[in-house]
Amino acid sequence: MKPPPFAYAAPDTVEEAVGLLTEHADAEPRVLAGGQSLIPLMNFRLAKPGYLVDLRNVAGLSGIRREGDVLVIGAMTRMAEVERSPEVAVAAPLVTEAVGLVAHVPVRNSGTVGGSLAHADPAAELPAVALALDADLVAAGPGGTRVIPAAEFFTGPYSTALAADEILTEIRLPVWPGGHAFTEFSRVHANFAVVAVAALVELDGDGDGDRIRRAALALAGVAPTPVRATAAERALAGAPADVATIRAAAAAAATSLSPAGDLHASPETRRGLARTYLRRGIELAVARARNER
Amino acid sequence: MTAANQATPGAPPVRDHSASRRWVGQSIRRVEDPKFLLGRGGYIADRITPGTLHAAVLRSPFAHARIGRIDTAAALAAPGVHAVITGREAAELCDPMPDFGPDPAKHTWRCLAAEKVRYVGEGVAVVVADSRYLAEDALELIEVEYEPLPPVTDPERALAAGSPLVHEALESNCAYERSFDFGDVERDFAEADVVIRDRLRWHRSGGQPLETVGAIAEYDQGTGSFTIDTNTLSFTSYLFMAAGTLKVPVNKLDIRPVPAGGSFGSKLFANKPAVIAGMCARKTGRRVAYLEDRSDNIANCDHHGSDRVYDVELAMMRDGTMRGLKIDVVDDYGAYIQFGVGHHGNALAQVVGPYTIGSVRYRVRAALTNKNQQGAYRGFGSEVNNWMLEQMVDKAARELGLDPVAVRRMNFIRDFPHFIPTGNVYDSGDYERVLDHALELARYDHWRDEQRRLREQGRHIGIGVITAQERSVFSATEFWFWFDEPGAPVTSTPESVSLKVDATGGITAVLYSCAFWGNSPETMVAQLVAEEFDCSPYDVSIVYHGSRDGLPATGPGGSRTTVMLAGAVEGASAKIKEKARRAAAHLLEIGPDDLEWSDGGFRVRGDPERKKTLGEIAIMLHLFKHSFPEDMESGLDASKVFDHPYTTMPSADRKDLGVFYPFVGHACHVPVVEVDIETGAVTFLNYAAVHDCGTLVNPRSLAGHIVGGTAQGIGTALYEEFVYDDDGQLLSSSFMDYLIPTAMEVPELTIGHVETPSPYTPHGIKGGGEGGRMMAPAAINAAVNDALAPLGVRLTELPMTPERILAALRAAGHAG
Amino acid sequence: MAPDTRTISLTVNGQPHVAQVEPRRLLVDFLREDLGLPGTHIGCEHGVCGTCTVLLNGASIRSCITLAVQADGASIDTVEGLAQGGELHPLQDEFSEKQGLQCGFCTPGMLMRAREILAENPDPSPGQVREAIASNLCRCTGYQFITEAVISAAARMRASKEGVAP
Repeated sequence: MKPPPFAYAAPDTVEEAVGLLTEHADAEPRVLAGGQSLIPLMNFRLAKPGYLVDLRNVAGLSGIRREGDVLVIGAMTRMAEVERSPEVAVAAPLVTEAVGLVAHVPVRNSGTVGGSLAHADPAAELPAVALALDADLVAAGPGGTRVIPAAEFFTGPYSTALAADEILTEIRLPVWPGGHAFTEFSRVHANFAVVAVAALVELDGDGDGDRIRRAALALAGVAPTPVRATAAERALAGAPADVATIRAAAAAAATSLSPAGDLHASPETRRGLARTYLRRGIELAVARARNER
Repeated sequence: MTAANQATPGAPPVRDHSASRRWVGQSIRRVEDPKFLLGRGGYIADRITPGTLHAAVLRSPFAHARIGRIDTAAALAAPGVHAVITGREAAELCDPMPDFGPDPAKHTWRCLAAEKVRYVGEGVAVVVADSRYLAEDALELIEVEYEPLPPVTDPERALAAGSPLVHEALESNCAYERSFDFGDVERDFAEADVVIRDRLRWHRSGGQPLETVGAIAEYDQGTGSFTIDTNTLSFTSYLFMAAGTLKVPVNKLDIRPVPAGGSFGSKLFANKPAVIAGMCARKTGRRVAYLEDRSDNIANCDHHGSDRVYDVELAMMRDGTMRGLKIDVVDDYGAYIQFGVGHHGNALAQVVGPYTIGSVRYRVRAALTNKNQQGAYRGFGSEVNNWMLEQMVDKAARELGLDPVAVRRMNFIRDFPHFIPTGNVYDSGDYERVLDHALELARYDHWRDEQRRLREQGRHIGIGVITAQERSVFSATEFWFWFDEPGAPVTSTPESVSLKVDATGGITAVLYSCAFWGNSPETMVAQLVAEEFDCSPYDVSIVYHGSRDGLPATGPGGSRTTVMLAGAVEGASAKIKEKARRAAAHLLEIGPDDLEWSDGGFRVRGDPERKKTLGEIAIMLHLFKHSFPEDMESGLDASKVFDHPYTTMPSADRKDLGVFYPFVGHACHVPVVEVDIETGAVTFLNYAAVHDCGTLVNPRSLAGHIVGGTAQGIGTALYEEFVYDDDGQLLSSSFMDYLIPTAMEVPELTIGHVETPSPYTPHGIKGGGEGGRMMAPAAINAAVNDALAPLGVRLTELPMTPERILAALRAAGHAG
Repeated sequence: MAPDTRTISLTVNGQPHVAQVEPRRLLVDFLREDLGLPGTHIGCEHGVCGTCTVLLNGASIRSCITLAVQADGASIDTVEGLAQGGELHPLQDEFSEKQGLQCGFCTPGMLMRAREILAENPDPSPGQVREAIASNLCRCTGYQFITEAVISAAARMRASKEGVAP
């Protein structure tokens, strides 16, 4: 399972990288980040890019910083770095938890945040996180940079709003410092998720009578792209943070899904898993929100 | 042991086993380890020399299709390409593959498909190029015209009228059908109080070792000889079949075994890569390597496991006494049937499990479908029987309101040797002792208490207790007792060892066709030789000999290796000692009978100071011919061809199959599981396993096989399946979807050993390498069913995936 | 018509190398064939089994889904660099002592991953070891004796801090 031949360049700047994507458009160029998704596809010869633009040497694409209420992660930041980052753990612990569930350590050592988002696997963790946090994804193209909201970024399975000559440069995540839970069901430890849920809650009030001020819920593995459970979010906003309310919201959200089936799970099973993990995720997010007060 | 043992016809003499051993029974570090730890294992892919060409195979995307025109011009012109061979051309260059199936002429199997492809992934052409990269580039340039045909993927539909035919020449998809009656089935069923019935489904999984199959071949135009290095086990006895495929005389084919990265059966006689590499070497005149990659192997390894539909009836008395079994099994063999229904011989060897069941009806139908064919997978079909029988026993216990442990215990065979209805014998055992030890190790009573407590919290905890057999050392009769008039009623399954003592007394052992694939043959032989000669196992040198000028050898399979090597070592050692004794007698000027072997040499009985070490004897024999009489040849070496010590012939009417798998071990597995009824996930809370495979040569090594086999059994029970859709597409075609358990899916096992020696083998050894996988699927299914019993749910299909568990829960009215 | 190649410079087991490679050449093939280090094995070629694990700048990676050009400028450690001066690394020695290998095919990748695990956490619990080695498949051992070997090696390595570098 050897990859097919391709032309290759490892430019030093974003401008050069974009320039190469434009110049070699006819060769079906692709961007190489960590390669943890792309190279297996190439080994299977399911992906046959004629040109590979390797971003490993491009300055300024890696790094984590806080800008007020926004956590900014460079697209080429390795997932292992994100996983270990104290800044991320404080600003958006949902990201920390989700990244820790992406495959295994060796994959996270090489794999990048931008690579995972741009690959847009419908069952992947980070797209669901970006959606839940209403992240902004910044892309650089021949015409300059633009900001693509997460809600518009994922357009289909393995398909994003990025043009063929654009590269993702950074992800801007509004902070959400607590009340988080990323849970998923996989068949074998650390294997890809069958269904994954990103849950975020903010609570009003103290003690057992508290209510949910707002919630953000995103699911992976149940649709061609990650999806927000907006109806459930609306049902939870202002509602008591109790078991019955959470259960009802999770059930309603799951019923509205039309997941596809595959050899691992039928549509009915995926709906059931969505309901279960929404419920468990919201409960865990609420419990953490309470503990964090 | 009673006097009757001595009179058992065909049985070897009952042995007296030594009370004390020095090396056998020690968990020494393995002799094999250093090279593997240093990254110098010498696996097949490590043996590519400069200038070796690489082959890659083009595989069919269709499950069933006629092959039309194949255009290879562009591929031939591609950079670095030396040859392109299509299936039609291969059919001229090579004869069909070696095939032990019922009627090879009617389901002809070739190294590449010629006129028709019969499963997704079947090879249709091979490219030879300077590198694997270039060979794969060229594959994409080959154009094949396919005329798709309707595929058949369900074994029962394959057997029904009007099904598409996998092999037109057979005029059916039923490659074999026969019903056997052993004992008085009608009487036992008529007299039974109750008949327990069930339908059970075991889907195919497979060994999938981390190393695939590979071969490197050279063809010498001058002598017309092939030399092929390969990580497969080639039965030296059946080497002539592989030679026939390559169209050379047997003594012009040398197959040399190299260390294999695991097999679990899947490298057993896996000759296709060797044939393809050989064919390409002869065509190009160059050394050619064909190394399967994972895609090649998953879809095309020719070693998928058993794939069975069972309709079973177990006749019982109300008090729990088991009377008789009626088994109707359809086995989905895929597109070819290289080992015939040998997998059912493995079942028949222990079909009644450890129980005094008096009669068995066994009807087997082999269905051909558009899938890769079955081969060997740890257990070779006996593990499926274990699972089926233990499911029935648990179902019976439930229906009769009896304790599942008590039902097993009351039906245990207690007197040995015991002949089961099929004619096979269980040589020795103590099933009660194994059961009691397992229940104790498992803290069974504690876990029943825990189960009660946790059930009150709404959790679904289950405990499985299964007691089952692990047969070892097959006889050749099980290849042919399926037929009243077999074409080749062979009776040989030898194993050979040569021992050479050099002038310093150092010992070298030569193994023939006995490959290394994680099973430690070097360590076994080293310990056995050390036991014989009182040397250190690390001082014994082991050589793996190629096939051409080697002695007869059958190789690993059916857990036979340690027993058969032990017999060969014992025999060769006896010959060495006999000559050494005579030589020592001359040197000490005393009669040979006045000498006794002790502590590495021969000493005079009653005068221990007068002695000669093996080294002192050896140097004289090597260099001082004139010290010995004329008829004593120089040197000190001997070989033993050890034939199966206990095989008897089947009766003409096949109501008695004779003894064909006599050294039978036994085990009890007790897993405790929790089932998450919202997700269908199964997790282990505890797992105890006790095995009895007679005397252990290296207890730690056997324990390692038990854990590893159990891990594979966990895979079979919960995760692993070659899933084909209705179009015959293999959905689990990579490790992303064919799910191998990680360290998080396999619990820590508490392992106990019981040793009931075999009366018939050296040291009382029985084979035990397959045992873990022969027990675990049955045990895990039992545990899951125990967990779900309060919900009225019972799983009868493996693997018990979350989907299947949730579907069963939904069907029983529990929202998933 | 020779294929396009790139020059890469990297250190492997402490030895500097400069080489010409096709961009598509997988790191595992480069190590095995171009550098004559066959200790790193190929199991699946799609990044799932971990058999091909090596360390890149001290971090485990899957060399079957890494291009050689992606290792330019890096320091790679393979199994061949574990034993020093003829002495087995404690991990290697404990794998043998505990029989943490049967066929040996997963062993090099497992050893390199174990090195990383112990560098990050010199005193892991058995549960932590088990979770950490879940990244590497083994088809023979069922992981139990591998876990025992890593725990034993960790103890030895803690005890002799001035010994073989982790």
